[in-house]
Amino acid sequence: MSTTTISPGLRQLLGEMREGIPGGRVPARIFNDQEIFDLEQDKLFSKAWCFLAHETEIPKKGDYVVRYIANNSIIVVRDEHGNITANLNMCRHRGNMMCKSEMGNASHFRCSYHGWVYKNSGELIGVPMFKEGYEGQLDRSQWGLVKVRTETYAGLIFGTIDPQAPDLEDYLGGFQFYLDIYLKQGLGGSEVHGPPDHWVAETDWKICAENFSGDGYHTPVAHQFGFHLGYFPSSGSTHSEGWAVNIPNKGHAIGLGHTPGMPAFFGYPDELVEQMHQSLSPEQLEIFSKTRTAVGSVFPNLSFLIQPFSLDPGEPGVRFCTMRLWHPIGPGRMEMWSWCLVPTDASEEYKEAAYKAYTLTFGQAGTFEQDDFENWIKVTRAAGSTMARDVEFPYVMGLERPKLEDFPGPGHAVSPYVTDTNFRNLWSTWLDYLTREE
Amino acid sequence: MDEESAVQDSTPAGPWPAPGALLDEVPRDGGQEGPIIIANEFADVVVTRVYTRNGVRLDIWSPRRGTRVQLDAVELDCLSYQPTETFSAMLERTPGG
Repeated sequence: MSTTTISPGLRQLLGEMREGIPGGRVPARIFNDQEIFDLEQDKLFSKAWCFLAHETEIPKKGDYVVRYIANNSIIVVRDEHGNITANLNMCRHRGNMMCKSEMGNASHFRCSYHGWVYKNSGELIGVPMFKEGYEGQLDRSQWGLVKVRTETYAGLIFGTIDPQAPDLEDYLGGFQFYLDIYLKQGLGGSEVHGPPDHWVAETDWKICAENFSGDGYHTPVAHQFGFHLGYFPSSGSTHSEGWAVNIPNKGHAIGLGHTPGMPAFFGYPDELVEQMHQSLSPEQLEIFSKTRTAVGSVFPNLSFLIQPFSLDPGEPGVRFCTMRLWHPIGPGRMEMWSWCLVPTDASEEYKEAAYKAYTLTFGQAGTFEQDDFENWIKVTRAAGSTMARDVEFPYVMGLERPKLEDFPGPGHAVSPYVTDTNFRNLWSTWLDYLTREE
Repeated sequence: MDEESAVQDSTPAGPWPAPGALLDEVPRDGGQEGPIIIANEFADVVVTRVYTRNGVRLDIWSPRRGTRVQLDAVELDCLSYQPTETFSAMLERTPGG
């Protein structure tokens, strides 16, 4: 149930934003504000399908990871029968955190406070001094861990704490078509390569989510070293080329950048390309074969990027894929998870090369990552300043651009790739959540 | 295998532990013979193969709890076909809080 009260000032801001978005105006204040953060916790992250984990992070019975939905710590586990389940990470006795490790393997969880023991699937089974203290009167079936609703798509485990939320298929609304470029890289799908990088960043999650909803505009500037030194197969003169696609009123979006003359499926090993002809539809093949960069986000805060990158400047690029979660922990502050996804059926040599390309570019020490966060931290700081409270940003790029009626994929597609079209849909969807009445 | 090499093979596992006895050094990865440390954030045990005059058992020692048990092949075999509910039932009866 929604509990956050919207102040008159915030109500006015959101009302003005509603009027401003169609004309391409978004207020700076939303990118670093305590009231916005509180409202997002209550009306967005408590209502949306939030990404929890990839199935390959918990491949064996008893494997678990600890993640979040809004400010709720969630245990995501493969139970002793092989089923994936998620529970609130809180002992039902006095509320202690059950799992303090970020990941582990356990058949049962034992609370470190009074020693209550649960099956890893969440049922309470062991209560110290059950006879002496409770005189056998505690109904253990009533005091299991609090369940979280989960659904999966192609290895991605999502959870929601809204019992009224539509099913995940509805929520994704056709964006699965584009997710497959990351998740169906071959017949075996994709898997995580090692544990995620995980750190705290002084950045508002929305800046990152917007960037990964198809911001090809920043790349030749923020990441110019990649162009100039020959790491990245694109050039400033043609970098605007490609498509931008979003799912209207769902918030999901992807940018599909092109490089003129680039061979189809450049940077993938031949055997994977052969498999993709079986794992993907003809429409997907038509779009993905031409794509150099695919940078997309599942609303609200799960993002992906796939692109070629040269391990040695001037050498042919190798495709790498990163998946990242921008988890807000305060206004202008977030926890960052970053994974490398590799094709399950690829050779070990290719997986290692792809992982090397990932670590050169992304993760805490990655070159692209440092370029981005240096900018995003400054944007966040500026957005929280007092004068910025009345400042708006222009989101007018591509305002009159027509929808591509013959585009073979779902959603609203435009060309070229460099446009604010996806972002206007992103912020209007975000606004829908924040202003939705109960 | 001659008698001398058989003795050498069994040496790293050590003698049958006295009741309640604790290892006197930090356990190490003992390879085939143990000790092997199995731990997660909820419990940790040290597992070692130990020899009787006429056979072998698996010693499971819980350093934090100070308990240990020596299981023979029949008991271990029996564990191998228990459903997970058996262990849940054991923890229900004695949760070890």
